[in-house]
Amino acid sequence: MCPPAHFGVLYEINPWMHQEVTVDLDRAQQQWDDLVRTIESAGASVEVLEPVKGLPDLVFTANAGVVNGDQFVPTRFRHRERAAEVPHDIEWFEAHGYRVDELPPDVIHEGAGDALPFGDVLVSGYRWRSDARSHAALSRLTGAPVRTVELLDDRLYHLDITFCPLDDRRAMACLAAWDRYGATVVQELVPELLELELDEALAFTANSIVIGTTVVMPHCPPRVGRRLEGWGFDVVVADVSEFLKAGGGVRCLTLALDVVLGG
Amino acid sequence: MPAIERVEVEGHIIDSLILAKVLDLIVAAGADYRVIDVEIGRTQADASRAVIDITADDEASLDPLLETLQVHGVNRTAQNDATLVASGRDGVLPEGFYSTTNLPTSVRVDGHWRPVENPEMDCGLVVADDGVRTVPMHRVRAGDLVVVGHDGVRVESVAKVRGASPFEFMASEVSSEKPKALLVAQVADRIRAAHERGAKVLTVCGPAVVHTGAAPDLARLVRDGWVDVLFAGNGFATHDMESNVLGTSLGVSVDAGLPTEHGHSNHLRVINEVRRCGSIAAAVERGYVSGGVMYECVRKPIPFVLAGSIRDDGPLPDVHADVVEAVDTMRMHVADVGVTLMLASTLHAIAVGNILPAWVETFCVDINQAVVTKLADRGSHQALGIVTDIGLFVRDLTEQLCP
Repeated sequence: MCPPAHFGVLYEINPWMHQEVTVDLDRAQQQWDDLVRTIESAGASVEVLEPVKGLPDLVFTANAGVVNGDQFVPTRFRHRERAAEVPHDIEWFEAHGYRVDELPPDVIHEGAGDALPFGDVLVSGYRWRSDARSHAALSRLTGAPVRTVELLDDRLYHLDITFCPLDDRRAMACLAAWDRYGATVVQELVPELLELELDEALAFTANSIVIGTTVVMPHCPPRVGRRLEGWGFDVVVADVSEFLKAGGGVRCLTLALDVVLGG
Repeated sequence: MPAIERVEVEGHIIDSLILAKVLDLIVAAGADYRVIDVEIGRTQADASRAVIDITADDEASLDPLLETLQVHGVNRTAQNDATLVASGRDGVLPEGFYSTTNLPTSVRVDGHWRPVENPEMDCGLVVADDGVRTVPMHRVRAGDLVVVGHDGVRVESVAKVRGASPFEFMASEVSSEKPKALLVAQVADRIRAAHERGAKVLTVCGPAVVHTGAAPDLARLVRDGWVDVLFAGNGFATHDMESNVLGTSLGVSVDAGLPTEHGHSNHLRVINEVRRCGSIAAAVERGYVSGGVMYECVRKPIPFVLAGSIRDDGPLPDVHADVVEAVDTMRMHVADVGVTLMLASTLHAIAVGNILPAWVETFCVDINQAVVTKLADRGSHQALGIVTDIGLFVRDLTEQLCP
């Protein structure tokens, strides 16, 4: 995770961002500190990436790249506003002993924001921030089979706002945000699927993380909470309202390091 | 002008239903596709790759479709433009010229695939502003831009040509052991289908059509409008008129089947009289010829082309004695042909086969199996051989079409 010392809405690269909206930096820092505590109390530890002035979205570490064991595949950002983040991400991963394998220069892919493992495969989104061709390249680099999903709604511009794997049998997904082919593929893939309504997804319900049996969510509709608890999960809602101003929730603020693709 | 583009898509396109999605998108856009190749990954982790040819009505509908498909990871395959070299002199193709087949062919010019308008085997390809055409060697002119080498030339397979029509029962084999009545009925169906879609029917006739007594039936087919173009040689036209004027074919009575006295010179006398008239049409007009195939061709009228050879008597005034000019004249008539009947003709059948695109449904009818196989051996793979007596075949076909 990366602290929000230099966070802000300094440009507009998704429909949530409005430069006239002011971010309360103190409040953002407070929310971020609370999120770290929640994650740690759920049993995970947090590594920190140093914030960099002029890179407000560096807080959204999910978009740093794809982690696979000791391999790190850095993102190729669609927008040049975020491209300057990449060297800092690479520097951190190299310093921590990761092997860095880069995507070809002619594709774009925004890391874990558009690629979430489920079972043996990597589900990856495309259209707004990643292109479809990047999926084959990502698969070649990581060795993981990719299941491709087209994201139809520009407000749900990353896969991780529409899809949240919970364990090896269950996931939350907003099928209405996907093309019918991608929706069919994921329905086949996930034995027990908690389907989210479009408005639930737009409230960033799916932009959640799972630590053991704890689901940390930016928002949890009662219906979803009951279902998750019925499955044996503990739901913790973390207030990340300052970050939602930039179109990012809990999942966007984190990058899981304990990922090994392909099972 | 139809527009074609070859594209490829790679990844877990089968399991992710991307291939299904892409094909659906193509069809939904009103375009057509042909999957050229699919490499399926061996393990779950291996990517698959599909190569697809997309055909749309025109460039204006293809371009937006390609843009849409690109979003889904579909890209034009890396292709070079065809290499063009200006011909240095009339009648000579540049060195290394691309030698054509009779299959549907496209040439990549300025990044776009242009279909060849008139596929014909053993020609060069000339690229002009208004299209790409096959040009036989002798017709090339100095300065014509000719395709050299194989880059930027795409040929569709024979399988595609077959699959494109219900012309499946043939498979190019010679059919000496197939039920003839069924074959004749199918040929009649193909002729009707060709006329329904506005395509022409071409017959190529050898003298045996007359010798076997089939000329009156063929004349009826012409009269009733089932034949649109007729190609033959000096012999066929001569014997057809000989049988009408003198009742013999090469001196043999067509009715009795017996040689007639001094009959061996009958055909010469007929040729001589037609030469006196100045043309077959003039001989018909003067009443010298009052029936038969050539008569019906003149009366209908339908175009006929008589090509000469070194063994011709006379020849008839209509015969093109210059063989290069004869084939050029034939070329002018094959553009809209959909069905060709090669009736007991060897040399003319092969010559016509040479100038026909592979999509023309071609039936080669001869008593001699060697004739039929020879046509296929010369590259006219689309020809269906029917080994039977030409007299019986034409009579049965006439019964089917002119009940």
